[in-house]
Amino acid sequence: MNKHTKPTDPDHTRKTNRREFLENTGLGFGSLALASMLGKDRLATGDEISNNIPGPHFAPKAKSVIWLFMIGGTSHLESFDPKPALNKYAGKTIAETPFGGVLDSEFLANERVVFVDPNNGFIRKTCYPMQVGFQRRGKSGLEISDWWPHVGNCADDLCLIRSLWTEDSNHGAQLQFHTARHRVDGFFPTIGSWATYGLGSFNEDLPEFIVLGTPLADCCGGQEAHRANYLGPQYDGVPMVVDPVKSMPYITPQRGTFAEEQQQKFALLGKLNRLTAAQSRDDPMIEARIRAYELAFRMQTAVPQVVDLNRETQATRDAYGIDQQETDTFGRQMLTARRLVEKGVRFIQVYHGSNGGAGGWDSHQGLKSSHTKLCRQVDQPIGALLTDLKQRGLLDETLVVWATEFGRTPGSQSKNGRDHHPYGFTIWMAGGGIKGGVAHGATDELGFHAVENRHYVSDVHATVLHQLGLDSERLFVPGRKRLRKEIGNPIREIIA
Amino acid sequence: MKTWLLLLAIIATNVGNILADEVDYLRDVKPILMEKCSSCHGALKQESDLRLDSGLLIQKGGASGAVIEPGRASASRIFQRVIDADPDQRMPPADGFGEPLNTEQIKLLKNWIDQGAPIPEEEPPPADPRNHWAYQAPRKQAPPGSDSENPIDRFLQMRRQPMGIRPIEQADRPTRLRRLYFDLIGLPPSADQLNSFADDDSPEAWNKLVDDLLAQPQYGERWGRHWMDVWRYSDWDGYQQELRGSQRHIWHWRDWIVKSLNDDKPYAQMIVEMLAADESAPKAPEALAATGFLARNFHKGNRDIWLDATVEHTAKAFLGMTLNCARCHDHKYDPISQKSFYEFRAIFEPHQVRTDRLPGQANIQIDGLPRAFDQDLSAQTFIYAGGDEKNPLKDIEVRPNVPSILGGQYQVQPVSLPIESWFPAFRQFVLAEERSKLKTTRIQTERKLKESAPHRIEPIHSIEYSILALEYAVASLKLHSFDSRCAAEKARLYQLKAADVTARQAAKDERKLQIKTAELALARKQLELTQAQTAEPNDVPSQQKLIDKLSKEFAALETKLNSTRTEFEKDDNQFTPLGDTYPKTSSGRRLALARWIASKHNPLTARVAVNQIWMRHFGAPLVENVFDFGLRSPVPRHAELLDWLAVEFMEHDWSMKHLHRLILTSKTWQLASTSGSEVAEKNRELDPENAFYWRADVRRLDAEIIRDNVLAVAGQLDLKLGGPDVDFKQGETSRRRSIYLRHAYEKQMRMLVLFDTANPNECYRRSESIIPQQALALVNSGLCQEQSRLLARQIWASVTGSDSQKVQGFLVSAFVRILGRDASKEEINNCLEFLDRQAVLLSNPERLTEFTHGQPAAVAPSEDPQGRARENLIHVLMNHNDFVTVR
Repeated sequence: MNKHTKPTDPDHTRKTNRREFLENTGLGFGSLALASMLGKDRLATGDEISNNIPGPHFAPKAKSVIWLFMIGGTSHLESFDPKPALNKYAGKTIAETPFGGVLDSEFLANERVVFVDPNNGFIRKTCYPMQVGFQRRGKSGLEISDWWPHVGNCADDLCLIRSLWTEDSNHGAQLQFHTARHRVDGFFPTIGSWATYGLGSFNEDLPEFIVLGTPLADCCGGQEAHRANYLGPQYDGVPMVVDPVKSMPYITPQRGTFAEEQQQKFALLGKLNRLTAAQSRDDPMIEARIRAYELAFRMQTAVPQVVDLNRETQATRDAYGIDQQETDTFGRQMLTARRLVEKGVRFIQVYHGSNGGAGGWDSHQGLKSSHTKLCRQVDQPIGALLTDLKQRGLLDETLVVWATEFGRTPGSQSKNGRDHHPYGFTIWMAGGGIKGGVAHGATDELGFHAVENRHYVSDVHATVLHQLGLDSERLFVPGRKRLRKEIGNPIREIIA
Repeated sequence: MKTWLLLLAIIATNVGNILADEVDYLRDVKPILMEKCSSCHGALKQESDLRLDSGLLIQKGGASGAVIEPGRASASRIFQRVIDADPDQRMPPADGFGEPLNTEQIKLLKNWIDQGAPIPEEEPPPADPRNHWAYQAPRKQAPPGSDSENPIDRFLQMRRQPMGIRPIEQADRPTRLRRLYFDLIGLPPSADQLNSFADDDSPEAWNKLVDDLLAQPQYGERWGRHWMDVWRYSDWDGYQQELRGSQRHIWHWRDWIVKSLNDDKPYAQMIVEMLAADESAPKAPEALAATGFLARNFHKGNRDIWLDATVEHTAKAFLGMTLNCARCHDHKYDPISQKSFYEFRAIFEPHQVRTDRLPGQANIQIDGLPRAFDQDLSAQTFIYAGGDEKNPLKDIEVRPNVPSILGGQYQVQPVSLPIESWFPAFRQFVLAEERSKLKTTRIQTERKLKESAPHRIEPIHSIEYSILALEYAVASLKLHSFDSRCAAEKARLYQLKAADVTARQAAKDERKLQIKTAELALARKQLELTQAQTAEPNDVPSQQKLIDKLSKEFAALETKLNSTRTEFEKDDNQFTPLGDTYPKTSSGRRLALARWIASKHNPLTARVAVNQIWMRHFGAPLVENVFDFGLRSPVPRHAELLDWLAVEFMEHDWSMKHLHRLILTSKTWQLASTSGSEVAEKNRELDPENAFYWRADVRRLDAEIIRDNVLAVAGQLDLKLGGPDVDFKQGETSRRRSIYLRHAYEKQMRMLVLFDTANPNECYRRSESIIPQQALALVNSGLCQEQSRLLARQIWASVTGSDSQKVQGFLVSAFVRILGRDASKEEINNCLEFLDRQAVLLSNPERLTEFTHGQPAAVAPSEDPQGRARENLIHVLMNHNDFVTVR
């Protein structure tokens, strides 16, 4: 066992021969053998898939993941899981329907209440009818609500998973969806950080795990929903803003700085650091720091470029709904997500619905008006993303996941809203080697409990990791316990 | 640490590939059985008379016979039980956390049995956990070698010698000096300080320097931050203004840490104060601040989380014990029962947190002292079956106690508290401040009344005058009533004969005050009403509405006044108390715990602290897992040294400064970090990881020190000590040391987070990551650019001679000030070339591409191309590897 704390380094797997490194870097700035420095795509190294790295564990189906997260809890009953019984028994109590047994189910015990919120997080007992119609869409005939017309157009690429459940009946479930641990258990590595920990990067000038959209509020997990915790900060999601001027913290040089001036400074820094490196045989960090500076320099150019959507055609911009009031923000994020995939970014996590608190989708009242508005913000951009990826031949190797922390109660709250519902809800996946046009799992007649092919949130993680060529069970750090429920199981039935 | 973790992960991954090969009991099977089974089938417990912690014992089987049938896994009971589909039958039991074996573990077990379940001929008998090294009292054995040498060097030499390892040379003086400054005070030496030490390299000069630095108040800040990591310092955390975790004004605890270290307060005393100052020193606010250690665990929504954190981190921080692993079941590795966890929790069960008023500030929202106290002495603790708080075992009595494995006496003596403690509103300064406030109001109202003579004719003026008169009367009565309440409280507290009489008087004075207060309210309402009635109407209906409303309110106030008058006839002794009171007795449970931990007989306390201190001096600890000295922690390589230091620490009254001196004056600490010598070449082969301390380890500065260093080299650091936390958003502009920036969940300066600042939730050891965002922070932050410009101008102003002499002087000085060392010739040449080229480049700005989007500079770059080139150079040096590195 090594007694020392070793630096963690963007290239944690390869021991470059020291002399070779100095010779390479000695050639001067910009002529580096980048592949070896950045832990370049391990997938691309083919027969080199070896034992001396955490992953991949087997041949992958997907290279990148776009993870869309709706903050606040999107109603499954008005989106992807129609329940005619709710219309039939509207206004009746659940006990008065033939399905009153849902209130005695053993599944209710899965809820872990920690903060008792006197207003929210209760089982609502009066059936509330669906607020929108559903149509069968595509050849597959998947039933999708009328609030999702563009996503519905891609029905044959979607795999709906209608049988998710989680534990937290409050918005700590947002964090739980990313760590598979209850909010009160603390903070743990998130799905994006496990993916990048397992695989490393396959691009040369961008972070491997990027976050778009305003993150969760600190009530509900905050930045911890895209952090790596004990895996180390190099696996944290890096928040990025779709604005070339302020895309990342510290990415923009002060006003009045000249590009050429800065380039010379980086060049001098490289020279001085290499002189020092030659004198410091027993310093394991200096090489990594030289590389970090070189990556930082490229990021300064690459990051603003990748978020510069003026490089896209008008037709593309229009398809994503850019410059239309409702869809502009999310449209830009979706288009950026596609551009990041093209650049080889491993994991892109996009938040929607941030409002500084529980989240915009949290429709305790006025569900119809809030959901129509929010769906309009995201539907067209998501549809455009799926179509665009497909047209460019990228959907096969890009796994798109659409998720939310929980569904909403079959019963009404405040007359025209629905409460939090952790017992059964829907998420979907598309591309990345997942079957299209499929609905997997089911809730009961009221949409209350997931009853068929039940999946806790970590099964989503295990499936994502599986498509990336990673076995969730083999991802762990000695000394850090991962609970069985955190590890999850890939949903084999939906893998193409 | 990360790297070896990865290596282990790789080894673990490799296991998958050898499945088909021969399974080795010791390598593959035993670790699984030890992890999954031995807490119930091992040395401490033998459920069903079965032990699974050695090959022979497995062969022997248990109460119901053999558990393995060699060659046939499917017929072996042990295999059947681990794969049983029925969770009630499956082993380990599903008691909430008894997780089944995973597929790889099952395969290994199966293949081993199928291969005949071979065991090695000589397996060491399973050790009794009670004999674990860390549970034995540390012994001080005499170090080998000459008494004239530092014992640390002698112990290390004892280990190096048989290996053929020899330490390399001492680091050169500037390197050593810079290392020492950062180590002890977290600041770089100035050029003058470097020079003055260069003249005298005697051991005496070195010792004096160590003493001088230990005496600087910045020592307390530097080492305070270390201990704040271990003790989980967190400023208040919350959602908007709502407090959810830790406490407001907890910085008093931070200041207590800094001051205690500067005073070299014995560590044992620090432990007692942090866990139980309210019981050991209830009258001393400066000691009470220490209980911030407990107050920090406050959790708004959930008492279980609060107490779990208290138990977990008290045990980890002071004892290196993972007591938290016994929350849901008996500890898997260590001899700690589940009950033991709850007995430890019972120690804390009665305590709560409150904020006491401090002199000079009546509003505890603005300032106050968050502190622990025992609120409910009868609070019960229950074991949660399987760790599930919904399932408390109410039949089992849980008494406060400490884990028995460590020995010692846990003796609880209830503590009776002084008045100041249980009745904080009755403290002298509070009474004095309250009285003076009331008196000031009385004087002010009196003055206002006198200044306004009753000579106006309009009736409205006479109302105004009577309001002033009533205000004065109310203020006078308030003061009077306060005085009589004080007298009544005093009489009651001291059980004077007159207690009842004074109480009646106080009650009566209050009723008098209530009448006047009601009269005043009525007069004010009357004024409003009169004004409304006499105003020029703009809008008649709405004015009438207002008059109606005011009349109604007037009538209500009149009724109220009448009722206060009726009340006045009452005669009772019920007056409003001066403030909240708390229990007069504290359970003494925490004080007993603190004394047990801080006892010289506790085998862990001193070792754990010494290990932390060692790690922070050398970069690597003597015991690898700094918060777990349990059975998974093997005997450390330098066990004699650890024990010697632990005993030495206790014998010197737990003085940290004594340990610092010992370590810093050792030859080992002063070694160079690299060498081209043959000795070094040989050492690298024998001990590539430097486990024998033949050289110093190169280390990166901690996040806070990097930011401080930027300000310090530019001469801009504000050395003000202590005080309220500074908003983390001011990190780029504030000149204060980073330790004072707000540090809590979601409230941390971004630059510090990028450089691995402590996770406020838990950080027994920092990681040292290297990520590109760190580079961006130092390259593009306004802080670094502005400080480099200021520094470039200072240095340039200080150099003299011809133009080329000035440039030379500038470069020499820049390297010394920023990197603490002289520049090499090659470095100078590179820099000269850069300055020339950059000046030429910058002379033609019209040909250059300007960044136009970023923040404007608070300190603009120089207009002069050469000046700007020099600023660039300084900025490059602030990004140099060695700026953030200690060699």
